[in-house]
Amino acid sequence: MLMCRDLARIASDYIDDELGTRQNLSVKVHLMMCKGCRTFIDNLRTSTELMTYHSSFKVDEDFLRRIDERVTDALKAHQSGKSNQD
Amino acid sequence: MGTAAHTETELSLVERMKEGDPSAYKHAVRHYSPSMLAVARFYLDHANADEVVQDCWVSVIDAIQKFEGRSGLKTWLHRIVANRCKNQIRSSSREVVTDFSDSLDPDLANRFKPSGRWKAPPQARFHESAEALMETEALNDCLDKHLSALPETQRSALMLYEAHQHASGEVCNILDVSASNLRVLLHRARQKVFLMVEAFQETGEC
Repeated sequence: MLMCRDLARIASDYIDDELGTRQNLSVKVHLMMCKGCRTFIDNLRTSTELMTYHSSFKVDEDFLRRIDERVTDALKAHQSGKSNQD
Repeated sequence: MGTAAHTETELSLVERMKEGDPSAYKHAVRHYSPSMLAVARFYLDHANADEVVQDCWVSVIDAIQKFEGRSGLKTWLHRIVANRCKNQIRSSSREVVTDFSDSLDPDLANRFKPSGRWKAPPQARFHESAEALMETEALNDCLDKHLSALPETQRSALMLYEAHQHASGEVCNILDVSASNLRVLLHRARQKVFLMVEAFQETGEC
């Protein structure tokens, strides 16, 4: 029988619909009987959605400027290389 | 979740990059660098990851001429970063070491009795939807703080899968992990976010 801890281990697979039919069914049966796990799944699902909305993966503007500078130099070199060939 | 579909904007961006338009590069650098950095940091420390992403942008100027659009631009850029990182790791004989043995976060594991039932079950559903939660500035800050404290491997997996909506097969390919190990990384990261939001809702503090 699936215990709460087992369910917690595979909760993301359940949310993403990555479980096989039998395991998926045993999670559903467990959820019908267990309020703690229902709350856990609901809250883990919300946490997962939070990730999709959250744009915390920002990068430093200085870092982007350094890339801009290198790209600008490389583009100039690339263009002059091309015009030398022409 | 497929990435091979191209939007008109992406096609025109690629065309402008092929023509060497500096403003197209400026736009692309801002749009794609965060996720490229996430890929690089999966493999390398911050300083080396920064370097690899910069080098990749320079190499893109030539490589873009051969871009045929078989994958999306984002996937293509991520592959370039991943390949460069893998080469760097190979030449320095280092390895990315991650423990995939248990998918349960230790803080969550402590909330079960030896029998496997909850000792401390979640008490209540989160008050609001994810969208509404995101409007809470303090929670956003807290999320920032916790996400930056995640191991880079989990952060990279989360970013590519959740924030950038890559298909799992593509994430496995870019990060060179098996499907089951990707599942472990994602689940661990989600549990951290769950524990953080739960604590925040109970105490109002980060």
